[in-house]
Amino acid sequence: MIAIAAVSVALMLVIAFHRGARVVLVCALIGIALAFAMLPVAASRAPRQITPLLILDQYALFYLGLLFIASFAVALLAQGYLGKLGGQLEEFYLMLLLATAGGAALVMSAHFASFFLGLEILSVSLYVLIAYPRRSARGVEAGIKYLILAAASAAFLLFGMALIYAELGTMEFGRMASGMAGRDVRWELLLTGQAMILVGVGFKLAVAPFHVWAPDVYEGAPAPVTAFIATVSKGAIFALLVRYFANLGDEVFQQFFPEIAAIAIASMFVGNLLAIAQINVKRILAYSSIAHMGYLLVAFLAGGSLGATAVAFYLVAYFVTNLVAFGVVTVLSSRREADELEDYRGLFWRRPWLATTFLAALLSLGGIPLTAGFMGKFYILMAGVRSALWFLAIILSVNTMISFYYYLRVAFMMFRDAPEGEAAPVAAPSLSFVGGAALAVLTLLLVWIGVYPGPLVQTIRSMVAGLR
Amino acid sequence: MMASIPMEYGLLLAGTLFALGLIGVLVRRNIVFILMSLEIMLNATGLAFVTAGARWAQADGQVMYLFILSMAAAEVAVGLALVLKLRSQFKTLDADAASRMHG
Repeated sequence: MIAIAAVSVALMLVIAFHRGARVVLVCALIGIALAFAMLPVAASRAPRQITPLLILDQYALFYLGLLFIASFAVALLAQGYLGKLGGQLEEFYLMLLLATAGGAALVMSAHFASFFLGLEILSVSLYVLIAYPRRSARGVEAGIKYLILAAASAAFLLFGMALIYAELGTMEFGRMASGMAGRDVRWELLLTGQAMILVGVGFKLAVAPFHVWAPDVYEGAPAPVTAFIATVSKGAIFALLVRYFANLGDEVFQQFFPEIAAIAIASMFVGNLLAIAQINVKRILAYSSIAHMGYLLVAFLAGGSLGATAVAFYLVAYFVTNLVAFGVVTVLSSRREADELEDYRGLFWRRPWLATTFLAALLSLGGIPLTAGFMGKFYILMAGVRSALWFLAIILSVNTMISFYYYLRVAFMMFRDAPEGEAAPVAAPSLSFVGGAALAVLTLLLVWIGVYPGPLVQTIRSMVAGLR
Repeated sequence: MMASIPMEYGLLLAGTLFALGLIGVLVRRNIVFILMSLEIMLNATGLAFVTAGARWAQADGQVMYLFILSMAAAEVAVGLALVLKLRSQFKTLDADAASRMHG
């Protein structure tokens, strides 16, 4: 955390003295790698409380590692993409690092103040990243939409925090449960506060009915940034949500069970049904990520250590899969975003390896055996069934069926004949070496987690045991 | 000691301001006014925090208000930059103009 903040400051200085995208990229990568290398050092002293604001335990360390890997991959993928874009690119990596720092603060936070600050560091950097390509009208539009909605949701979140603070007199997650048990508190104020926090978090996670921004922002943002929003931003907030409710205890959790269940069901159906009608690959992925957040909420509702394990495992699978999927979109984009479904017609015959990679990602999103997505779904279902959430488990299965339809539609498109008479719709995309290597490693990871999940599950188990 | 105002009044006022800001965000079409309404919402939460802090006689509420203030400034800085870009690209400040993506 401190490492990554220091690196972003150092990066600012580097940019001031030497404008060169390559230098900055290397510095950013070194920074992230350094922060990642710090994790074992930090692990030897965990768990420990760093001021009342942050807590560094196994749980935080696990998600920190995940976030660092994801932003490392995004930086690699962005390199080739930005080269085609032209203009000044150095600040992109700076914003990426800052956003990662925000996410890192989120997964470590144990206090409303750090929750809020982490969230804002993350989102303010994201506004800039989304609107980064200066000449793109879609980027500006997406940036403004995201800004207005994110600011409004932050206001909701803050008001909820204020109400809870007014009632309990503490902003530390750990002390809230005791504050609630101690005196007779006014539940209406407390529950209003919790509900407002849920609304704020729901906006960030883009779960139905707070999902309206997601397709537009996904479509308008540059592809690497979309990958970042889908993985780092959502993952960090979900990790925080799990910690928050684990600290609050069962009583509050039970109060909100019906609401969260309704949100989960709505997200699954809205995401999957609306995705069917889309012809834009980025929008399809946006709706599918809404549905995936619904699946994750099922695991969250299952609760207990099995639920937390399922959430962590699914998040890993979801991170890897989405990075691969958006990575392929990134690589294919040249002057224009390659996001129309037509761009993928006959892709397999033109670029067999790239198409195979994309196919793997799609199958994993759908949850076909031998991919990471399947194991993730399996764990969620297991957690759901163990907690006797039959209804949710059945809905999840039904939705998985629906989702096959549109994932396979994209897949079939890749195997169709290329359109005749005209040149290939996307002018020979240049696959940069680092981007290609990142994609290959991620795809291997995707299959490896699907075939041999044992070690990862062990890590997650030991991590969850540390969570209160 | 002065007679203090009950906390409920403060929270009620903050809630009213918050609702006004929310209505502004939803109803206004001019992007600058939307940003202003967002500011009203954020300041309402700040007021709520200060009120809550006063109840417990802690400084935390005011500290949070400072955080909110600085965050709102950062947000508006980025927001106004985007407004400038919107203006140069769409030649308008109407938020409805920026809706090319549908579906």
